[in-house]
Amino acid sequence: MDINQIKEIVTNAIREYCQLNEIEITELNEYTPLIGSESILDSIGLVNVIVDVETAFLDEDVEVSLTSDAAMSTRISPFRTIGALSNFIARQLGVEE
Amino acid sequence: MNRVIIITGTRKGIGRYLAEQYLAGGDIVYGCSRRNCDLVHENYNHENLDVADEEKVVAYVRNVYKEQHRIDVLINNAGMASMNHVLLTPKMTAERVMNTNFMGTFLFSRECAKYMMKQRNGRIINYSTVAVALNLNGELVYSSSKAAVEQLTRVLAGEIGEYGITVNAVGPTPIDTDLIKNVPENKINELKQRQCIKRLGTFEDVKNVIDFYLRPESNFITGQTIYLGGVF
Repeated sequence: MDINQIKEIVTNAIREYCQLNEIEITELNEYTPLIGSESILDSIGLVNVIVDVETAFLDEDVEVSLTSDAAMSTRISPFRTIGALSNFIARQLGVEE
Repeated sequence: MNRVIIITGTRKGIGRYLAEQYLAGGDIVYGCSRRNCDLVHENYNHENLDVADEEKVVAYVRNVYKEQHRIDVLINNAGMASMNHVLLTPKMTAERVMNTNFMGTFLFSRECAKYMMKQRNGRIINYSTVAVALNLNGELVYSSSKAAVEQLTRVLAGEIGEYGITVNAVGPTPIDTDLIKNVPENKINELKQRQCIKRLGTFEDVKNVIDFYLRPESNFITGQTIYLGGVF
């Protein structure tokens, strides 16, 4: 698995969540914010996306944990953008960013 | 459809009884305990783990989901008691009890809730004790850990209720298990006198409350703790 595949899985999971919940999105890319005032998600939406992303990887037989101490205690949140989340997962899997 | 049920602490006692009963009813049961378990059944899977070991719990629950693609029920049965005066309770004992009773419930609930949220359905059953309601002397650490479980039950019920998941607790009276084997008989008798119905509980009493929570019709009941024996 490479960083592009990781980004694709993350982006697809978020797109699916937005479609299911009728959240209007124009474009999803690595700069799309997942937290903060510009985010496309509210706090519950972020929780759902974390679950969706974890299980999407599990469906590919890849195990990632987004509720680990590392994820939650990092000074700069790994959930700030799609790109940041993908890079965080890449680091967890030992994949080059 | 047979339910996929995770029960912690299935080596003996109530956990073992529940596992056997649900297996006999056709459910698929995943159990765990720190020490080896000799329960053998074609629909039973066992792993040795400490419920407070985050890494192990995450991997264990993930594996159940990978194998079954769903988790219908979690019964946080694993528990540890410590009954002693506060001045005779070492810190290490307090930590062990909190870790098993609260942290184990927290970790299993968090991990199972992830998958239950995906499937928009699930039941989580926790264990409290009448010692919380009765503020029993000599059970400071044990009842505090269970009070924390009751609070977890209520807040978790609120946080995941909209996903079709209910979270409830059962609060047993003393039952004739290893948990109370070191409690003097006069203490047990005193406790029984504070119940409306003055007898020891049974495994069947506990299962009856759990079965009530698990009924499909109970999907509007969440965040509750039912004490056995008429304690309030």
